[in-house]
Amino acid sequence: MAQKKLPFEGLRVCDFSWYAAAPVATKWLADHGAQVIKMEYSARPDLIRLAMPQTPGKEQSLNVSGWFNNQNSSKLCLGLNLTHPKAREVYHRLIMISDVVVENFSPRIKEGLGLNYEDYVKLKPDVIWVDQPMQGLTGPHKYRAGFGAIITPLGGLSSLTGFSHRPPVGAGTNYTDYIINPAHLAIAIVGALRRRQMTGKGQHIVMAQYASAASILETAILDYTVNNRIPARNGNRIQHAAPHGCYRCKGENRQGLYSSPLGPALEMKEDRWCVIAVFSDEQWRAFCDVIGNPPWTKDPKFATFLGRKENEDELDTLVQSWTKERSAEEVMMLMQRAGVAAGVVQDAEDILIHDPHLRARGYYVYLDHPEAGHTAYDGIPFRLSATPGEPRSPAPCLGEHTEFVCKEILQMADEEFDELLVEGVVEVG
Amino acid sequence: MEEQETLLGDIRVLDLTDEKGVYCTKLLADLGADVIKIERPGGDPMRNIGPFFHDEPDPEKSLYWFHFNTSKRGITLNLETPDGREVLKKLAKTADVLVETFPPGHLEQMGLGYQALREQNPRLVLTSITPFGQTGPYRDFEGSDLIAQAMGGLMYIAGYLEDPPYRLYGSQAYHSASVLATVGTMIALYVRELTGEGQQVDVSLQEAVSMAMETAMQAYDIKGEIRRRASRPPVIPGIGLYECQDGHVSSFIVAGAGAGWDVIVDWMDSEGMAGDLKDPKWDELWGLVSNFRLLMALASDPQKLMARLEQFGHINEIFTAFLKSRTKGEIYDSAAERRIMITPVQTPRDLVESPQLAALGYFVDVEHPALGATLKYPGAPYELPETPWQIHRRAPLIGEHNFEIYEKELGFTREELAILKQEGII
Repeated sequence: MAQKKLPFEGLRVCDFSWYAAAPVATKWLADHGAQVIKMEYSARPDLIRLAMPQTPGKEQSLNVSGWFNNQNSSKLCLGLNLTHPKAREVYHRLIMISDVVVENFSPRIKEGLGLNYEDYVKLKPDVIWVDQPMQGLTGPHKYRAGFGAIITPLGGLSSLTGFSHRPPVGAGTNYTDYIINPAHLAIAIVGALRRRQMTGKGQHIVMAQYASAASILETAILDYTVNNRIPARNGNRIQHAAPHGCYRCKGENRQGLYSSPLGPALEMKEDRWCVIAVFSDEQWRAFCDVIGNPPWTKDPKFATFLGRKENEDELDTLVQSWTKERSAEEVMMLMQRAGVAAGVVQDAEDILIHDPHLRARGYYVYLDHPEAGHTAYDGIPFRLSATPGEPRSPAPCLGEHTEFVCKEILQMADEEFDELLVEGVVEVG
Repeated sequence: MEEQETLLGDIRVLDLTDEKGVYCTKLLADLGADVIKIERPGGDPMRNIGPFFHDEPDPEKSLYWFHFNTSKRGITLNLETPDGREVLKKLAKTADVLVETFPPGHLEQMGLGYQALREQNPRLVLTSITPFGQTGPYRDFEGSDLIAQAMGGLMYIAGYLEDPPYRLYGSQAYHSASVLATVGTMIALYVRELTGEGQQVDVSLQEAVSMAMETAMQAYDIKGEIRRRASRPPVIPGIGLYECQDGHVSSFIVAGAGAGWDVIVDWMDSEGMAGDLKDPKWDELWGLVSNFRLLMALASDPQKLMARLEQFGHINEIFTAFLKSRTKGEIYDSAAERRIMITPVQTPRDLVESPQLAALGYFVDVEHPALGATLKYPGAPYELPETPWQIHRRAPLIGEHNFEIYEKELGFTREELAILKQEGII
């Protein structure tokens, strides 16, 4: 039986991007069938290749970073030394036969490499050209450098996140790098591809990561511009639910090695939590039934929603006195059976190994990588019923597809390719 | 005047979303799609979510409603009645996309499942955003933003180990699911133009946030280690959050990303605040922290790290005092001049006053004639010069476009509409 065509089969993406915010977007294009050609060089690799976690015993390799591999599935890698004077001729040729060009350098580097839409649109009017600078291609701060770690504080999310008595340390990860910025970018790219398919026209896409991050602050901006109010950091609480929090649960005698850079690793799961969210009076009554209607639930101060909000500190303490005697899984199941929203605060082991739901949905995908071995990749978080994508091949080793790209795609003669190799313009992995 | 071309000007979207998916339809609407927000008669419950214009609680003054429903048209329709469902089927014939956030199976129960809608319109794309997706043992579980951030693994690694985990501000599970659902919808539309066939897009809030775990899943997969909440006062100098005169700055001085410690020490020295850090005895240490690989190795080796704590503490003390004596704006400008990676932790006020966002024309004024006010909204997440992002109109009033859509576009007579109104259908 003929396999269903993937959505982007036949499309080529010339991908200069590195770190995360654009590579995750081009990974989704690749997972859905596009031929994405990533360019790097061992002396100047995508720096995520150097980051932890790395396959134990192979830390000197540029090909075993779990972080890098996860966000570069299904791509090809051309080992190209972008700083070599002869590299320009190679990537110029690749641009000329690509449908989409993506870069997320600082504008200074982008300009130095001659990666300018204004020049290329004259040579290739139907090109979809994607710049993803930190702060824009114009404006007084356009040359200010940065990456995901600075966008969460700069874009406003950190100042609003966390507990009010603690400093605004932010999201725990470079959150906007993995979902918000790549997804905003992918929306624009796919929209442009559709328009090009219908009209034959290319277009320019500029996504300032700063602007993208500032766009997901819910009503914080309007509340300031309209009511002159800046919301306080409020931990896990929201205006229209109580209890609405994270509660400690009983430790579990289950294997699991906590990593701890400043102390010995712990081997038992003590750090266990669940969340509970009670929105309506009906859910409140169901919640009280689940915990066996202890006397405090009859206290008039908890009888109304406003009362529960006014006495939320005390309420949270009482809720926790019940949860901490039970495992997080038990709390979730008891609450859910009664129609109350609850969930385990899952750690990586829960998510990858134990969560029966993610397993049933086949979310994580295992691929065999020549150096990293049999390893897990995030699945596709938007599932198309008729033309689903998936990580099709593991992330490329650096320079793995140099020969293929040069000879098969760029149609170089053997002599030309050998010359570029000898001169150190390209390298093979 | 020729109307400006938009990216999705040919697309009509039926919007049956609550908070989980309302950012998805906002994205489509601001790209030019004709998004019809379908509210229950009397108004959508989302109108009760604050904050409110001048803190006056009123279904026509919810800033939440305003923000998430820009560029949309609005009608009322009661889907609990058979007539209401027939009207929806009529609408589906004219639509390209339907985005919904009902519990799995709810549309089928109403006779409006994908197969039924497909019979009306095989080109329709049906995008569903739910807490746990359309399949699997938890598909009927109750969910919310908090539950998804917990079950998706994001909360466990946010904050300080000695505190409970916390959720990211601003319903990030809803935002994540919405942006990803929009990507899926766009791909489905792209495919549809090739094949003529619509399809379903299934988005789970839990899966949507899980990729933001960054390295946590891989650390367990590759090394059997469970990544935990890791915020703490800076240990390695220059990496972490520092207090300044009027707030905080986030410092990320890592080799390969901007200027290194030689530049920072000169900067502090120029202000007479470098202490003894100009002394050559520190050269060996600067060498260490300037090498990305060495630094990464150090960060993962408790013994090596412990051996450096005293030196690091000394440098941090000088650096902390230096930053504490300055405002975040001063620090940001001076650091940027020197290509040092220090960033202010910006509040909404800082964003609104940002010269860079102003230069990008980021904030957009939207008129609200009924309020007698013009409100300043956050703007474009991306620039598409040929097909610009735009707030085409303010969010709709309750039933604002009933006549326009039911009478002019669907061809109902005034008499029919009166009956539908009387029966509580519109």
